[in-house]
Amino acid sequence: MKSYYDRPLLKGPHWGSNVVTYLFLGGIMGGLGLISLLADDRPEPEMKKLRKATRYTAFALAAINPPILISHLGRPERFFNMLRIVKFKSPMSLGVWGLVLYSGAAGANAVRELADDGIVPKMLRYIAPSATVPIQALLGAFMAGYTGVLISATAIPFWATGKRHIPAFSVCSGAASASALATLLSTLQGNHDVIPRLERLEMAASALEVALIADFRRRGGAATAPFFEGRVGTRLRDFTILGGIVVPFALNAIGGAFKLPKSLDALRSIAASTLTLVGGYVLRESLIEAGKLSANDPHVAFRQPS
Amino acid sequence: MATGFFTDSTLCIGCKACEVACKQWNELPSDGFEFTGNSYDNTSQLSGTTWRHVDFVERESVDAEGIATSWSMLSDVCKHCTHAGCLEACPTGAIIRNEFGSVFVQPDICNGCGYCVVSCPFGVIDLIEAVGRGDDAAKYSVATLHDDRLNERKTAVQATGGVAGKCTLCYDRQRVGMVPACAKACPTESIQFGEIDDLRERAKRRVETLQARGVDARLYGADDVGGGIGALNAFFLLTDSPEAYNLPAEPVLPSTRQAMGYAAAAFAALTLATIGWAIFRGEGGAA
Repeated sequence: MKSYYDRPLLKGPHWGSNVVTYLFLGGIMGGLGLISLLADDRPEPEMKKLRKATRYTAFALAAINPPILISHLGRPERFFNMLRIVKFKSPMSLGVWGLVLYSGAAGANAVRELADDGIVPKMLRYIAPSATVPIQALLGAFMAGYTGVLISATAIPFWATGKRHIPAFSVCSGAASASALATLLSTLQGNHDVIPRLERLEMAASALEVALIADFRRRGGAATAPFFEGRVGTRLRDFTILGGIVVPFALNAIGGAFKLPKSLDALRSIAASTLTLVGGYVLRESLIEAGKLSANDPHVAFRQPS
Repeated sequence: MATGFFTDSTLCIGCKACEVACKQWNELPSDGFEFTGNSYDNTSQLSGTTWRHVDFVERESVDAEGIATSWSMLSDVCKHCTHAGCLEACPTGAIIRNEFGSVFVQPDICNGCGYCVVSCPFGVIDLIEAVGRGDDAAKYSVATLHDDRLNERKTAVQATGGVAGKCTLCYDRQRVGMVPACAKACPTESIQFGEIDDLRERAKRRVETLQARGVDARLYGADDVGGGIGALNAFFLLTDSPEAYNLPAEPVLPSTRQAMGYAAAAFAALTLATIGWAIFRGEGGAA
């Protein structure tokens, strides 16, 4: 096949571990929005505790994620230039606005929680009307998914081929990671009653995620090779598919089926959650690294996916 | 009035005067020297600080008299697409279409997010490496910067890099009625600058002439290249397939994939929300 001395046609992403971390935490923020909505406005005490944990954590992530995003810019002091326009054709532009609005909603919901706890004046609870909870969940779904759209809407053949799959399994990974984080937080809180439900949500999200990844592999063709083969493929298999989905799923299934002694059960649940979080990070890292490899192959880039 | 380039590979002699003129006028720093062994091409590619790049395509043909090598040279450049991936992707609005119909990066707006880099179907635009800030900025190719331009921060790289860079179609020269530096320096008129409609007509006449002489000549980008990109304001006359010059045969405008991407994300989110609702708030879940 003809090429120009096998020189790459495309320029690969300049994105490193800060962007991977941003994608990972963005997915968790999205999932926490959903869990926070599911736990909202319920009489059970364990739901109240879960709501508190997810609201505070979402707010904390909304505070630390923007600086991580800004740190990857060539000129970080010009971050605010992203707020001078709204561009519907640019997922990066919409994503920044999604982040800003999500952070606002998460902040308002955290303040409401603080007011209910009596830490700040009660009056401040009106900062967040009850609609802010579903709004945060909606913006959260966007936060978890737009990064997948963002990389699919590029010229990089591997990312472009994944326009049907990458955004969908990114959402699943975000929801699974958020459930895992919420499980860890509930363990710390001593809120054990809510953990079986979080683990079931995590199992559902992981199952959908692995089904989508398998379908992607089956249909993706040559352009997906950098993701599923070689160094990236091995890491993806070991840390995301096996370590991050299959093993935690099995551990969660065991927890659901058998009544284990309390300390052993806590250990099981902590192990499953930690593995899921590691798997979620490695998934995002593999997406970025495979994008870099994909850009180096001119042959798949000469005829770009529709 | 849109202006552009018509670059004709059959007239190119591979002198690289366009590369040098571009670097000099736009005060672009050296990318360093690397011996590639790929014919006479040690520039290798367009980059944030290399806005013209001469391809050296060597072809061997075998006949009764032996092996003959033919060369085809082509000066590659930003295509200034009708629908430009970089321009659509840019979240700051730094990349605009100017009054000459060219795609222009405003270096004082760009914050170096790098999204344009992966959104160019031709692999043209790239980030310029940052080399320090404040007083440190003076280090940046200071030998080539005139004092007044350094002080006014008018240089394309804004003295410190960290932003995206590519051909401006010599916006500054065009504004005062001058021809872009590369076209001016080209000794064979392989690079022609002018109004797009004129150039297209000229290109079509040229390709007919060549074909009548039995040359395998074809135009790239004079008409719609497909994939939603439209025609290119900088187009080319080739004597081989586009791939031989590292040009995509079927480029696609990346933003056309967004609708499907959002739909896929929404599908997953809705599915999980429904399952979550059943687990947390359904009859069995609340137990």
